[in-house]
Amino acid sequence: MGEREKVVEDRVLEVLREWEEYARRGNWRPRGYRIIRGPAGNTKVGEEREEEFMVVYRPHGVLYHHSLGKVSKFFRGLIEGKLYGTRCPRCGTVYCPARAHCWNPSCKAQPTEWVELPPSGKVHTFSIMLFSAEAFLEHLPFVLGYVQIDGAHTALPIQILTSPTHVWVGQRVRIKFREERKGELMDIYAVPVPGQEPPKWSCLHADAKAMEDLRRDLEKTYEFLQERFGITREMVMKRWEAPGE
Amino acid sequence: MTKVAVVGGGLFRPDRVRYEVAEEGVAEAYRMLLEEVPELDPRDIEFVQCSYFSDHLNQQLCMSWIVQDYIGHHRKPGYRVEAGGSTPLDALINAYFLIKSGEYDLILVVGWEWMSEVDTATTNEFIAAASDTDWDFTVGGYYNGYYAALEVRHMQLYGETVEDLGRLAVRNRNNAVHNPYSQWRSEHGTSYVTLDDYFKDRIVAWPYRRWNCALISEGAAVLLLASEKVARKYSDAPMWIEGVGLGTDSMRPGDRLVDWPYKGAYPEDEERYPSFVERPLTPYPEMANFGFAREAARQAYRRAGITHPVRELDLAELFAPYDGVELCLYEDLLWCPRGEGKTMVREGTVMRGGELPCQLSGGLTAFAHPVGATSLLQTLFLYWELAERIPEKFGDPKLQVSGAEKALLTGHGGTGCQGGVIVFSR
Repeated sequence: MGEREKVVEDRVLEVLREWEEYARRGNWRPRGYRIIRGPAGNTKVGEEREEEFMVVYRPHGVLYHHSLGKVSKFFRGLIEGKLYGTRCPRCGTVYCPARAHCWNPSCKAQPTEWVELPPSGKVHTFSIMLFSAEAFLEHLPFVLGYVQIDGAHTALPIQILTSPTHVWVGQRVRIKFREERKGELMDIYAVPVPGQEPPKWSCLHADAKAMEDLRRDLEKTYEFLQERFGITREMVMKRWEAPGE
Repeated sequence: MTKVAVVGGGLFRPDRVRYEVAEEGVAEAYRMLLEEVPELDPRDIEFVQCSYFSDHLNQQLCMSWIVQDYIGHHRKPGYRVEAGGSTPLDALINAYFLIKSGEYDLILVVGWEWMSEVDTATTNEFIAAASDTDWDFTVGGYYNGYYAALEVRHMQLYGETVEDLGRLAVRNRNNAVHNPYSQWRSEHGTSYVTLDDYFKDRIVAWPYRRWNCALISEGAAVLLLASEKVARKYSDAPMWIEGVGLGTDSMRPGDRLVDWPYKGAYPEDEERYPSFVERPLTPYPEMANFGFAREAARQAYRRAGITHPVRELDLAELFAPYDGVELCLYEDLLWCPRGEGKTMVREGTVMRGGELPCQLSGGLTAFAHPVGATSLLQTLFLYWELAERIPEKFGDPKLQVSGAEKALLTGHGGTGCQGGVIVFSR
């Protein structure tokens, strides 16, 4: 660290200690191997011959320190329980996700100003996740939403905590803050404003067969959660009750 | 300026796992090319255009240097391009520009990807590292989630159904069983599947089931590109590049609600925006369509003199890592008005035997998707199609479009962040 930089707040020491251990584990150096007999050669399907290959197992773990740049305020805001966007003083576009410079070509990369946004918005589009990458398996099933925060012109990616069959385009949501926050988008989630019914044109609700199949496969996700993590259906449903502001 | 043609190619059969490594796979694909084109003296190749997507997947940077020396083409000029899923298309277009400029007459385009050296979840994570890691990445949807959300938006605005997505999934598989180099055939065998089978398949990210999603593959492809001056020396049936186009859109799909550069560019598409939902500041493409494809198609059609794409094109290989992408692309490629993509599926236009069959190879969900090689594999397939050599190459005439003269290829990366279109002719 240079003379002109100073740590203003430090929430990383424990993590650094944890990662030291990974560094000592010999990144990149093979930790073991397998000999595998498998199909080889450049042929059509089914015409391969077999050959033996040695497969080495090499670890690779890294801890990045990445500046969030001029939109750091957005992520610090999450820790403080506030939702910020940026506004272009020339064309008035409000960005959430925040941009430090306006992307409207006629504004010539005009620096933007911070605005505080309300914890509410509407679902622009969504996906219902029944399978995910390792880091998010325990969150299944979850709704990935693109939510347009009230007052913003863009849509923010955010998890919507709701029964997976209770979501639609245009649904009104409230933004909530998790109790433990780290300055990332997972610090917040959306919950539907109570008392709404899906409109007749909702693509999921208008298609009875689609809904039936979704319910069937949700069952399989619950079975998976129970088996892999001991997470019961009741525990999952409890998440949707959206505790406190 | 010279014309440019594809005059040969080869592939290393893609599959979920291949134990030969990338440079060995490339060498095998290169050998296939050399056997195909005995007139080719490796010393005549002037430039090697390399194409691979990820430095993370194999713990190796500058893989192209390994590959180029492995096949004995070091000392010559050569470099890699990289742009996510658009990588092989960009490599092809770059080689085209290099020849077009008059600088080179003969270029070897080499593409590969080895995607199974980490577990599936990590592969998905590394692919998702090509999305905005400060924003989109962090909420856990990854590409399955992003593309599913894009499809929900299009579905909501324009009324296609899960069944339409199923028709495409079934079509891709039932084409791929006739492609002896396809991953689906390797995993599944040669029997046909039905819409009922599709509905039994697991949903991963609604509205997408596993069958709607691109495969994870290891494989390679090479193509030989030549100027007009030397093309006939290598091929009796060169496939000419008649026109290319390129386009881009925002990195984060959620930003496309206020996609300023697109504002007012396509008034007809803005007009076809339904009134039952709130209208974003820029209604086209927003999160429902692919603006890059519209830009690229207009340039490619203009250069190739295409005015009625559905009538003039005989087949197409699209970059559709998820089936809904196709429905949008039909609209963005100006094959039908916005919102009518579903009609092209329902009327069979894009099916085998239809007016403009797509994904006869099986596409990204049933042929294979070794990212850096994908568009090259599709191009090689089109090369065999336009030369009417599918029966010979596949030992099965089923996928041959007889008398095919013009074909379209499109590729893209991210959620349609960057991509292009190429029109080929025999």
